[in-house]
Amino acid sequence: MTSLALLAGGLLLLLLGGVAFLRLQGPYERLQGAGVGDIGGAALFLIGLFVRDWSTTGWVGVLLLLFLLFTGPVATHAVAKAAFVRGLRPKGGGRCP
Amino acid sequence: MGLKGWLEVGVLVTAALPLFRLWKGPTLWDRLAATSSLNVRVALVLACEASFTGRGLLLDVALAYAALGFLGTVLLARFGERGER
Repeated sequence: MTSLALLAGGLLLLLLGGVAFLRLQGPYERLQGAGVGDIGGAALFLIGLFVRDWSTTGWVGVLLLLFLLFTGPVATHAVAKAAFVRGLRPKGGGRCP
Repeated sequence: MGLKGWLEVGVLVTAALPLFRLWKGPTLWDRLAATSSLNVRVALVLACEASFTGRGLLLDVALAYAALGFLGTVLLARFGERGER
């Protein structure tokens, strides 16, 4: 029963991550919204899968979860840094470091 | 359709939004963010398929896919940063 709640929560966060692509203006906001929503939704979804049936997922699933948790923000950062270097400034101006 | 079908359809329906951004996104960076988002969702569908049907191999495929998706996003971002545009 808890797995259903976790799976539904994961789907909801995935939806919110998707909505971030619609509602937010500018690449930086979308990167932030989507990055948080996706990885959170994926984490909840995967934990729901583990809780539901550990025999079929096992430690490889935990490895996938840890991988997503670590590389999600790194990918978002890489894109944001590339955008900043190419001269795209966020709304607040964003001084160079 | 079983729970598996509903979950996968749910993930793929939420994938429509980044797909829209991938199509419309004015800048390259929107498209890279949408691609990264789509990669995570495909890996999730694979993991869901593996978990429900009991085929452990699909989970390894999901892990490999997530790794390659991440690699692709970072390399494209690096290329966009230093590209010859």
